[in-house]
Amino acid sequence: MESSLKRKPTQSSPEAESPPPHKKQQNETEAETNGSTSGHGPVACLHDVSYPEGYVPPPQSSAKNDSTPAKEFPFTLDPFQREAIQCLDNGESVMVSAHTSAGKTVVALYAIAMSLKNQQRVIYTAPIKALSNQKYREFKEEFSDVGLMTGDVTIDPNASCLVMTTEIWRSMQYKGSEVTREVAWIIFDEVHYMRDVERGVVWEESIVMAPKNSRFVFLSATVPNAKEFADWVAKVHQQPCHIVYTDYRPTPLQHYVFPSGGDGLYLVVDEKAKFREDSFQKSLNALVPKSESDKKKENGKWQKGLVMGKLGEESDIFKMVKMIVRRQYDPVILFCFSKRECEFLAMQMAKMDLNVDDEKTNIETIFWSAMDMLSDDDKKLPQASWFLLQYVNVFSYVGIRHGNPGFKYVTPFKAWNWSASLWVTAHSERSDRDLVSRSCIEYIISAQCLFATETFSIGLNMPAKTVVFTNVRKFDGDKFRWISSGEYIQMSGRAGRRGIDARGICILMMDEKLEPSTAKSMLKGSADSLNSAFHLTYNMLLNQIRCEDADPENLLRNSFFQFQADRAIPDLEKQAKALEEERNSLVIEEEENLKNYYDLIQQYKSLKKDVREIVLSPKYCLPFLQSGRLVCIECTESDEKSPSFSIDDKVTWGVIINFERVKNVSEDDASKKPKDANYTVDVLTRCLVSKDGVAKKKIKIVPLKEQGEPLVVSVPISQIHSLSSVRSFMEKDLLPLAVREKTLKEVSEFLSREPGGLPLDPEEDMKIQSSSYKKAVRRIEALEHLFKKYEIAKSPLIEQKLKVLHMKQELTAKIKSIRKAMRSSSSLAFKDELKARKRVLRRLGYVTSDDVVELKGKVACEISSADELTLTELMFNGVLKDIKVEEMVSLLSCFVWQEKLQDAAKPREELDLLFMQLQDTARRVAKLQLECKVQIDVEKFVSSFRPDIMEAVYAWARGSKFYEIMEITQVFEGSLIRAIRRLEEVLQQLIQAAKSIGETEMEAKFEEAVSKIKRDIVFAASLYL
Amino acid sequence: MRDIQLPLNQTQKVRLQRALQQLESLYGNVHSGNSVTVADTIPVNYDDGVLRGHGTMDRDGQVVATLCGVVERVNKLVYVRTLRARYKPEVGDIIVGRVVEVAPKRWKLEINCNQDAQLMLSSMNLPDGIQRRRTAVDELNMRSIFVENDVVCAEVRNCPNEGGVQLQARSQKYGKLEKGQLLTVPPYLVKRQKQHFHHLEQDGVDLILGCNGFIWVGEHVEARDSMIVDQVNNAPGETSLETRQKICQIANAIRVLSTLGFNLNLEVILETVNLSTKLNLPINEMLGSEFHVLVAEREAERRSSKNTKRKG
Repeated sequence: MESSLKRKPTQSSPEAESPPPHKKQQNETEAETNGSTSGHGPVACLHDVSYPEGYVPPPQSSAKNDSTPAKEFPFTLDPFQREAIQCLDNGESVMVSAHTSAGKTVVALYAIAMSLKNQQRVIYTAPIKALSNQKYREFKEEFSDVGLMTGDVTIDPNASCLVMTTEIWRSMQYKGSEVTREVAWIIFDEVHYMRDVERGVVWEESIVMAPKNSRFVFLSATVPNAKEFADWVAKVHQQPCHIVYTDYRPTPLQHYVFPSGGDGLYLVVDEKAKFREDSFQKSLNALVPKSESDKKKENGKWQKGLVMGKLGEESDIFKMVKMIVRRQYDPVILFCFSKRECEFLAMQMAKMDLNVDDEKTNIETIFWSAMDMLSDDDKKLPQASWFLLQYVNVFSYVGIRHGNPGFKYVTPFKAWNWSASLWVTAHSERSDRDLVSRSCIEYIISAQCLFATETFSIGLNMPAKTVVFTNVRKFDGDKFRWISSGEYIQMSGRAGRRGIDARGICILMMDEKLEPSTAKSMLKGSADSLNSAFHLTYNMLLNQIRCEDADPENLLRNSFFQFQADRAIPDLEKQAKALEEERNSLVIEEEENLKNYYDLIQQYKSLKKDVREIVLSPKYCLPFLQSGRLVCIECTESDEKSPSFSIDDKVTWGVIINFERVKNVSEDDASKKPKDANYTVDVLTRCLVSKDGVAKKKIKIVPLKEQGEPLVVSVPISQIHSLSSVRSFMEKDLLPLAVREKTLKEVSEFLSREPGGLPLDPEEDMKIQSSSYKKAVRRIEALEHLFKKYEIAKSPLIEQKLKVLHMKQELTAKIKSIRKAMRSSSSLAFKDELKARKRVLRRLGYVTSDDVVELKGKVACEISSADELTLTELMFNGVLKDIKVEEMVSLLSCFVWQEKLQDAAKPREELDLLFMQLQDTARRVAKLQLECKVQIDVEKFVSSFRPDIMEAVYAWARGSKFYEIMEITQVFEGSLIRAIRRLEEVLQQLIQAAKSIGETEMEAKFEEAVSKIKRDIVFAASLYL
Repeated sequence: MRDIQLPLNQTQKVRLQRALQQLESLYGNVHSGNSVTVADTIPVNYDDGVLRGHGTMDRDGQVVATLCGVVERVNKLVYVRTLRARYKPEVGDIIVGRVVEVAPKRWKLEINCNQDAQLMLSSMNLPDGIQRRRTAVDELNMRSIFVENDVVCAEVRNCPNEGGVQLQARSQKYGKLEKGQLLTVPPYLVKRQKQHFHHLEQDGVDLILGCNGFIWVGEHVEARDSMIVDQVNNAPGETSLETRQKICQIANAIRVLSTLGFNLNLEVILETVNLSTKLNLPINEMLGSEFHVLVAEREAERRSSKNTKRKG
């Protein structure tokens, strides 16, 4: 495979060329960090190269070396930057993996400068719009020839340097935009986003489909498997790909713990990355455990103790911010893990005044300039402007950021939201105003504290001095879990402004006891590795099928997912080899013979089991499960791993006390007939009770003659071996030990008289007539005959021999399963799913049997922001045709709304009717997929369309004011704005789709819909524009 | 029989007629009820709601055809597919065209459409395969890539409503076609398929079935590897006699099929070529009446056997 030809710590090479600058650089960093108490670790980076298989390096052109660099930077570059830039100068792809704020942008800037110099196009893609917008502004300042393309805006698409979201880049590639023929360098920022479950696949598609001769710059957070990623790129694009990896942080971090209820910070990890156990222990001791009642309430919810505090006392968060301000640790970003928590915590801060007087005036001016921008209607916002002003003034900018694409600051009170949006508006359109200068937002933020959700940690250039984690657990959809070390690294990366702060500060607010090891792995653990989150979508398939060159299978073959799966093969091979060796080391004499015997036993056992299953099926045995009947049950196996091999099972006897049906929670009781239900039988028998540490008592059923207590245990029917025809007289009260002892004694006495226990005859007593029973019985008899022929069975060591053979058999099975896994990973991943999905497309008439995309397919091709199949079906069924524009918009909102609202009101009847039509269509689509063997949960799929915001969107489309629609629903402003924006995206795609099928009326309708929703505050330009 | 104009003798006429009738009986009633001419009313069920597509209009509450052709229905969408019209481009079609004009930053191509298509300079890969912006120098050198009357293969990138089809050359296999023949057939004979490029390996011939009814048969060229800039390779080598004969044979087979009005796909073309080889027919006689009749009979036989197989 790829060979890594050189691996060296960079220090060796720069030192050889120019040791002084390196030294100097380090000194400078030192000076920059304002005499941080201790020097930091070496500013080293790892440089590695992945070459594609059979790669022949082109002859070195010496002319290149003396050309001037495309861009000079006013500061000395860090080694990793220098390394990366050298790769760029050589015209080779590079992956830069470093912490946020380490200065990866420098590499991007250089790549852009270089491309511009060579009259090549360069594309910069980022995962979120806000980041694209910010970068666009940054680059625009630096180089004038810059354009921006996001779902919202397109500015100067002919520029040489294009900033866009990765989705846009992907669709440009599918459409064969001319940019694809001119782009020399493609910069993927935050490429570790590829592991995102939902959107990660877009990166893989974009990278696989990228033009053959283009070069890449990948900027990523620190990932341990950067090499693997580079190998993949090298293989897919047949070009060398460099890896520059560094752990270096320009400003070292100090990690503190703030125990809840306590009143101080404890330094846990110092800037030399040393974990201080003692200090951590102290912090644990300072932790005031929450009262029991509190604990009950917050079960599954966010921590109340954190916000409420004790009566008359300040809440932790308040104390925390106060302390931060007092110690001049601000600006600070406080990360919360839910929007609600974010809002709630920010409200706690309302009483605090963080501003100096002149800042207040500034903010006032900003505010009024923002107000001027607003339409008269929007000025009539709830709580009016007075309220707004108050709050803007009081705590300047305790912004809370939700994960909405517009990057709006959403604030605790509704008014706050407005202030933010207003501010944004002012900022975007009146950039000539003195105060509303570009750096203003940074200025404001830099002076204050900011509550943010996790989304904020991605790439945006807004570092603070301090980062606070308000919680150590986050909810990940299923459960509350510890923050992973990768997440911690990403978020803590926001701390410490380069060149301003000596060190960044991370504060972990801890409200429960944490094992030091857990804390250690969280604070000092390694970054998450970059794993593929590849999955198939119909839109992707259709686009691939549509292109003459492309082929979905090809995409799968080249995906990172497949690459990682292929990598696993050698490991599996090794495992299989080891197991095989182990198997071969087991030598058994007369193996052939023994094997036959073994098989025979297995067969015999399974037959016996069959018979028992018939006899003891509830249908037959229930009438005989009376109390007092003697019953033969299997003993509990002493050890799971060594099953016995004798023909006779290890059995014991007991007395039936009672039986009862097992209630199965998941099943619908009414639908189950009593005959099919599961039963357990309470049996009095001798048991061995052993206590296993703290855990539950373990009860083992043992033969009567062995030692043990007489106990009543409940056993499943399957454990019953046979029923006796004898019933013993039962004492009424079984509680006294003596009574039980006596009963069992009677049983053993009876058994000594009748060793067989007089079992019930299945045919005569139990009236079992089934033919399968008779057949099985006959076969058992035949087998019993056969046993006698085996000499080997008489050998004294037969037991051990069989055990060895059994082990060998198990090893063989294991090897088989590993080989199977190998085969499946060497064959194409997703192959079956691909087949199934293609079947769906054919069944629905999207493609023909020879993979030609049909009309419906062309429509679905255009839709990438909503469920393409359901929406296309809806369209072709004419549902969208007859309804009013507002209703249509409202219906489409179900496609973009994903949050679950608990107590959302049902929409009015007309809308509900439409929604039901949508559900019908969705169900049909889902069922068809299921029939075509696509793994899908029909009901889950249907319920993924949520009607929660139908009313609100309906009102919005009818021209209501935003504050009015906010009164209709309880959703977050940010979420609603996000949904409406996404709705507009879907409508744009539908316009394209309608165009392609020649439906001019529909096209006009969609256009009208866009014009109806695209107005006012929802589409106010976002913060960075 | 409609407008097949061939000098046939009596027996040939009867045989051809029989073959065509047989074909008709196989597929005859599939479309018969669905074909419309201009101003025909298209019967639809109004209760379910109708989506009107291309070639239809609403007149006094009825859906009326505005084109001659076959009515197609997809769920509730109703549109008319024309049978004999000029080529109507769709995004993603592979087409073959002839350069009619070298204009600023673009070439204009005749593609059998009602308008000339445009191939932008920026939609073409540069001959050296380098990814960069096009400069004024590139623009001056456009004639070194294509000049008037060159035959070019490209893909339809988009077809805006206002006309002016945009083409592109996605990869190196698109571009100038040399050493071969360009045939024009009615565009409806070429159905959209997964593959329009065919490389007939044993003959060393490339066959490109352009969706616009322009068909290219030419000597096989290895897809030019953009990494290797090798001028020597571009020097025109002689095409061998066998290859030339092969090209002519295939071209004639296509001519025969198109005269008979059979759909063109690789399978049928190869079969016709094989038939002529088997009969040891000189290439020029392939265009004679006898071969036409033979092909028709053969095709009728093939389709009916295929049909029974499907039914069985």
